[in-house]
Amino acid sequence: MGKGEVMEPEQFREIFKRLQTEVQKVIVGHDDLIRKVLIAFFAGGHVLLEGVPGLGKTLLVKSLSRALGMSFKRIQFTPDLMPSDIVGTEVLTDTNGRREFQFKQGPIFAHVVLADEINRATPKTQSAVLEAMEEKQVTVFGDSHILASPFIVLATQNPIELEGTYPLPEAQLDRFFFKLLVAPPAPAELREILKRTTGIESGDATKVLPDDDSGTVNEMKYLLRQVMIAPPIEDYVVRLVHATQAEAQNGGPVQRSVKQYIRFGSSPRGAQSIILGAKGNALAEGRVHVSYEDVEKVIFPALRHRLILNFQAEAENISADQVLGDVIKKVPRN
Amino acid sequence: MQSEPDEGERPEKLIYRLAAKLRHQALLDSLLIFSPPVGAAIYIIAVLFGAAWLGQIPMLVSAALVMVLGCFAVVLRYRPAAPSVSAAAQLLDRQAAAKDHFLTLATVKPADWPASFLSRLRRETSGFSHRVELKRDFPYRLKSSAYWSFGLSLLAAILISFLLPLTASVARPGVLQDRLRALGQEMALKPGLKKVGKDLLALAAKLDEPKIPLEEKQTQAQELKKEIEEQQKKEEQKDNRDLLGQAASALEGVEQQQAGGQERKDEQKGGGGIQSDVRQQGQGKSEQSQGGSGDSKGDSSAQLSTELQQGKTAQGNPKEPSSEKNQQPGDAKQDNQPDPSRSGKEQNKEQMGKTEGGSKDGAGKEKSSEEPPPQGVSPAERFYKGGEGKEGIKNARYVTVQLPEEIAAEGKGESRATKESKASRARNQVPVSNVPLPAHVPNAPSEKQQVPIEYRGMIR
Repeated sequence: MGKGEVMEPEQFREIFKRLQTEVQKVIVGHDDLIRKVLIAFFAGGHVLLEGVPGLGKTLLVKSLSRALGMSFKRIQFTPDLMPSDIVGTEVLTDTNGRREFQFKQGPIFAHVVLADEINRATPKTQSAVLEAMEEKQVTVFGDSHILASPFIVLATQNPIELEGTYPLPEAQLDRFFFKLLVAPPAPAELREILKRTTGIESGDATKVLPDDDSGTVNEMKYLLRQVMIAPPIEDYVVRLVHATQAEAQNGGPVQRSVKQYIRFGSSPRGAQSIILGAKGNALAEGRVHVSYEDVEKVIFPALRHRLILNFQAEAENISADQVLGDVIKKVPRN
Repeated sequence: MQSEPDEGERPEKLIYRLAAKLRHQALLDSLLIFSPPVGAAIYIIAVLFGAAWLGQIPMLVSAALVMVLGCFAVVLRYRPAAPSVSAAAQLLDRQAAAKDHFLTLATVKPADWPASFLSRLRRETSGFSHRVELKRDFPYRLKSSAYWSFGLSLLAAILISFLLPLTASVARPGVLQDRLRALGQEMALKPGLKKVGKDLLALAAKLDEPKIPLEEKQTQAQELKKEIEEQQKKEEQKDNRDLLGQAASALEGVEQQQAGGQERKDEQKGGGGIQSDVRQQGQGKSEQSQGGSGDSKGDSSAQLSTELQQGKTAQGNPKEPSSEKNQQPGDAKQDNQPDPSRSGKEQNKEQMGKTEGGSKDGAGKEKSSEEPPPQGVSPAERFYKGGEGKEGIKNARYVTVQLPEEIAAEGKGESRATKESKASRARNQVPVSNVPLPAHVPNAPSEKQQVPIEYRGMIR
């Protein structure tokens, strides 16, 4: 299918649904989480998953890559992890008596990369990954190496164990399309998890797309960008993002909570994430246009890591989600 | 019943139809809210014009201003209230639970999006169009503000209708005269209305004259009005008829004003009081002079208090110092019991001296009477001896007590003749006597001790 030919929205919806179902076979609960990870994947973004250990974050990413039929690599971030351990390095090789430097690809060269506990690595290593995320290429000894396409980084971080960690700088956080919170399972879900993991039979996700079928994935990504959005809805997104900026409130609906708790508001990337996420949501629901509801469904994952809270918010244990909730309430749709 | 939209009807058309309908509704709302106050204001202006509070040009200017303001208010309210196409589309989305299908279709630029997506969107939206019927789902409902506006405007118009006649009496008289003059001058230029014009000018001049009695002014205004109305019936030219009509309404205003002035005077007279019949006689026939030349209540009450004070003095209150006027030579007794040893004439003089001082105005008028005052001890100004004065009652020594109900009866518009006949009847009923009371007899029955006649009424 060429660029001019577009995949039908029904096809997109079908593939999306099958992928979701396959991942749900392995991951109990977290339906919304799975859906948003898939939306971020087709929107071309990366996802930061935050949750305590043992909630199935790694399993989710593994299952997703399996269902997509994409290559998968996992990088466990530790304080002594070097950038070259991730992006790869030039190694001296002896081929037919000829010794030369050859580039050895790091684990970043995969379609789906799991950066486990990304906040445990040093900022230098973190920035190496984040550069790859943004540029979709790495440069080693002056040579640029293009990363696989599609490419998605799913990074995880533990919000509790903060000792010996290096919290991600704001600029790097901004590069994640969504930040998703992985909540502990409900009792019924936990029962189901136990049933699946402690018995003889263990389910596994089956492939939805053929191996390395990047063509279909790219078509789906292209289709997503063609979803229509009405100018009043775009204006609504602009107003929402603008309302999070405490320093740019002139004439806008000044939120008391924003002024009180926010040090820096969302960047334009936040607005981009909202619109692409809303488009993905609309397509997943079988529509070719974005509605206000689509926007509201993706505001929290798209903006929560882009709001930089101040000391007062931390002291009062105010989360970005609480401030965002206030913003949504105060900003009118039209 | 749900109407079946045309198969070929595009959803965009439905959106535009709804937007137009809502705009009409908004315009109607604005008109219904602002029309009643504008109407009431114009009515009030017309009433003020009719009552001669406003001239013709101010009336026209203010009416035009009110209309312009009304239009401005309608536009000001209509503009934000009129819904845009996107607002109409959102209403349709809400009504049909269409998840922003209508909004997207109404607002996206077709060139920016794939044609296949647009046609798909249009198809889906058409499906939702069936759920909406404009007549049923967006009916026109009269806003409560329109009811309020109508009610308050009506109230204002009614209040003005009732209050204006009441306030007509306090209308600036100058305005009426000016209007009469203006009309008179205008009419004087027209050949057929020259006479009426002159009459109007004369009346205006008369109205300015404070010495002319109100009744006379009123009568003249009535006569002129009658004359004008008759001429208006005969007049053939429309302009002249209009002019005559304006003159008639102005004259009506004059009548109302004069009537108001008369009422005020009557009110000042009312409330009961003691009015000396003697003084009336001394002053002549004019009704205006009845309460003294001053018209205000203050004057009459001052007169009353003076009389009472003098009465006390005459009764011989030792604590009350007598006024200067009452101090006559040999008036040491301070008792109104006449001394039987003195002659009746002397006693009369003395009594007159004691009760003198009722009104300064009265005094002035008495002095101007034809007959010179008797030599020696001057008689009290209010009382004449027999044969003195023009029409004074001989040896009058009584006061007429005018009860409030009598005054009220007078105020109800009884004719002068009736009033005079009543007054004479009252005068006849009041005993007139100058006979000295019998001397004090010890152990005499109590009924023999009579109160001086002139104070009986006051005590009553």
